[in-house]
Amino acid sequence: MKQQIKSIAIGAALFTFGGIGCGGSDDPGPLGNVDSLIILQRPSRNDTGDIFSYTSYKPGARLVSLSPPTADGKLTTICCDAAGPDYADIDISSYDISFDAKSIVFSARRGKDSSYGLFLLQIADGSVEQVATDPGREFVAPIFLPGNRIMFTSNLVSETGAMQHEDEYERQVSIQLGRINLDGTDMEMGARNLSHRTAPSLASDGRVVFTQWDHLGEENSGHLMFVNQDMQELREAYGKEGKGASNSTLKAREISPGRFVAIATARNRTINAGALIDIRLGDVVKDGDVVSAAANQSEANSKTVLLSPNVPMDNEPSSDTIGRYYDAFPIDAKDKPSLLVSWSDGPVESEVLALAGLSADFGVYLYDSAKQQRLPILNDPNMWDIFAQPLQPRTAPNIVGSAQDPKLGGQTLIGSLNVYNSSLHQFQAGEIYGVRVMEGFSSEEGFPEDFGTTRHEGHANLGVAPVAADGSWSAKIPPNIPIHIQTVDKFGMSSFSEPVWFSGRPGEARLCGGCHEDRAKTTNVSPGQLDTFALGATPMFGTTARKDRQKADPASATEIVGVAWDKQVQAVFDVKCISCHGNDNAAGLAPYTITDMTTGELVAEWTFNLTGDDLPAELSVAAGGGAYSKSYFSMAGPDMEALEKGGLAVSPNFKVYMNPLDARGSIAIKTLNPTVLFPTPTTERAFPGEGHQGVVLSSQDFYTLILAADMGVNFYARENNPGSKLY
Amino acid sequence: MKNIGIKLAAVAALALVTPTMAHAGKGGSAAAIQSAVKSTSVDAIIAEIERAEGLLCEDCVQTLTNLTEDSRYEVRQVAAWWFAKRPALKDMMVAQFSSDLPRGTTVKVRNAADFLGTTRSYATLPQLRAAIHRSDLGVEARVALVRAVKAMGHISGNEVLTTAMADSDPGVRAAAAAAWRDIRDQASAQPVVALLADSDAGVRARAAGVVGGMREQTGRAALEALVAGDTDSTVRRNAAWALGQLGNEASRAVLLRATTDSSSLVRGVARASLASLH
Repeated sequence: MKQQIKSIAIGAALFTFGGIGCGGSDDPGPLGNVDSLIILQRPSRNDTGDIFSYTSYKPGARLVSLSPPTADGKLTTICCDAAGPDYADIDISSYDISFDAKSIVFSARRGKDSSYGLFLLQIADGSVEQVATDPGREFVAPIFLPGNRIMFTSNLVSETGAMQHEDEYERQVSIQLGRINLDGTDMEMGARNLSHRTAPSLASDGRVVFTQWDHLGEENSGHLMFVNQDMQELREAYGKEGKGASNSTLKAREISPGRFVAIATARNRTINAGALIDIRLGDVVKDGDVVSAAANQSEANSKTVLLSPNVPMDNEPSSDTIGRYYDAFPIDAKDKPSLLVSWSDGPVESEVLALAGLSADFGVYLYDSAKQQRLPILNDPNMWDIFAQPLQPRTAPNIVGSAQDPKLGGQTLIGSLNVYNSSLHQFQAGEIYGVRVMEGFSSEEGFPEDFGTTRHEGHANLGVAPVAADGSWSAKIPPNIPIHIQTVDKFGMSSFSEPVWFSGRPGEARLCGGCHEDRAKTTNVSPGQLDTFALGATPMFGTTARKDRQKADPASATEIVGVAWDKQVQAVFDVKCISCHGNDNAAGLAPYTITDMTTGELVAEWTFNLTGDDLPAELSVAAGGGAYSKSYFSMAGPDMEALEKGGLAVSPNFKVYMNPLDARGSIAIKTLNPTVLFPTPTTERAFPGEGHQGVVLSSQDFYTLILAADMGVNFYARENNPGSKLY
Repeated sequence: MKNIGIKLAAVAALALVTPTMAHAGKGGSAAAIQSAVKSTSVDAIIAEIERAEGLLCEDCVQTLTNLTEDSRYEVRQVAAWWFAKRPALKDMMVAQFSSDLPRGTTVKVRNAADFLGTTRSYATLPQLRAAIHRSDLGVEARVALVRAVKAMGHISGNEVLTTAMADSDPGVRAAAAAAWRDIRDQASAQPVVALLADSDAGVRARAAGVVGGMREQTGRAALEALVAGDTDSTVRRNAAWALGQLGNEASRAVLLRATTDSSSLVRGVARASLASLH
């Protein structure tokens, strides 16, 4: 590897001063107008395989300038040797250059610190000052915003008494967007996602593009989002609607308006590196050498150009000479742009590297995407050379703010102009009674790392906002919380479930056109005031403290907030069901069996059972808390994929009775055949026929079961949170 | 080494896994986990265990059991997370690990604490409270007990933290101070105020961050003294920040002087804190 680097360096030295070229050409090359580059050098490591690993402390990082920006340019350390002994043992994770190119904001951790903080470097004299942030929390990924502000991501949560969300899958405390003045005043955190947000980058229209981890049930990927500088008006940019090139899209940077270069990769094992993609969100326009895509930006309208063929976008090891890219900075906006990239050769995959006792070796290259050639600039084999940028002034975009409505009293207003306007689902006229809004939370509230075996997140039903005659609806909800919504029919069952979380800030009004309307079209509504505003927004706990957003003993169906399986669901089964579906199987249902296909041995036999008892000894050997009940297992069923991979076969009479997020499609709900709940209960049934075996269920009974399904078939809710008791 | 009945455990695991929803939880295998373990890459081990989140895998159980006793905390943590998704198996492991707390070695107590904390086994809090009072445990175990309480975030663990705040080891004291803030419904940082006068600079720095983060007004005088005269710039910085969080106008004079502190860490923070006083 070192021999190879040396020969590359020798070859690079033959290139002309101030640019990249061959044979004595007068062409200055893409970097001809660049005096110097700023590059971050971090000691090599192999522990940031997960794309949301935001802390990896290894002292010895430095910011360097390379002038001219060639392999034989002069390398000068600009931070943090001159800053004094306070900055010894520093690790720097990322940085950004100010608009006037006179200062740099960077995220760093010193040996004496317990977390990463924000620092400001004055390039002229190398002096550094710390930006005042909470020393007990992490602050990473800073960028300059217009108006003397910095945007960053942090695990700080500003809601008093609340813990930061812990993504169910990532297990790490999530990081969220925030901003602060350069002088350390007026720090504010944005509304929270249930999982991570990372890698913000400023676009020329003043919006910020960043990567958001979307984790709700089946959805588990990193997509690009837009947000205004005040962290309002979150909007999907790329990936959520299925056109993403890979599971995760990272480190997006604007090439030209509506056009971004990003890293396409898998969630883990790839050291945050992957393929280079050129995302064109709008209508592509060519003006000389500049290609942009500013108009009609939407994912539906987007095109993706793969700039680095052969580089894997999953987490398989990359091949020699192929490698993976860590980051990219566009130098021009040609159809095949020139990019400053960080790239490592070889198998950039954490397991293979660990087996070989190696780390990825990211170096800086000028990438000619037309010829797919990398021209070396800097590669220190002991360091990661990353995030190269020209040290040049740039035009600051306008300060882009959003409206705030003081009349909301700190609540967030959400709604749609016409919920029937959807690009994702075909609704029948009159099908929708209302929109159910559900709050999401994770195990940080005290749950034992799981809400149930369906692996959905915690849910609390904030209520159902009726849809008005013109299709509009609105609700006032608590600010800063992740929510997702479902359209519901008059029986209270979901007809369509939004597959991602979103959130709003205090005083923010988020009125969508429809139920995920076509982003490239204008939503038309009849002139005049929307019916929902005439009627007033539905109140949904907008000013209620988090700990009070639960109801252990709802007196009616519409009072149900969370659904605690062992209390609320089991109460229905105990009164209405176990006489037939108890331990004695009075209903006479045949058991289903699970057989080892290799040996033919019977592994387990299970008969439908709705008691709240613990699973029998052969299935659950431990007594005491933590084991889910017979009724829960009967409804949720075992994992079919796990059975298949385990070489096990289940008998044909096996059934899953409750489907997460889909009460309407659940066997249990269809069998019981709920009656009308909204706007007022009637005896009309949802499905043909009557109920089940003459069993009489109340509206509250039905809605308890419907919510149990539509909110993920969870065992735990706030109402039975084991963390609420004293021990 | 833990050795639960494999067959029984596999059947229990089978029973309590339901339709896997998380796409990223699919595709794992025992072979992939074992390969990752052989590589020694923590990153690969974590990735493969996460992929096996919902996997029915008899062969995985012993491998994962062994990993709950790995020397690396990140590996122990993800192994415990895997068991947390399998309540019956988890309960078996909890019973075995909790029996290590009263008499186990330092390493056994460390492993037990990390498992119980990650799986939020609240019922073991009484045993964790008893264990922190053992006089024969090494630092590693005491730090792990604090870490367990932090992971649980439960107020019934406060006694572990207050005991650890008086520990002979500064690392344990600092960890306990930091953990105090991450307990749900924690009403006050009063117990942490005393650590502002700790003999160790790292402890003082952590304590200042907690007192400020929780806006504990009873710590103001001690914080002002730290800003004015602590020999450690990190301590002065954290204390200056904390005074900004407390926001008391009485701190103006000391913060003004801090704007000309010899350390650039302190100067900018002091200026920002001045703007927060009222």
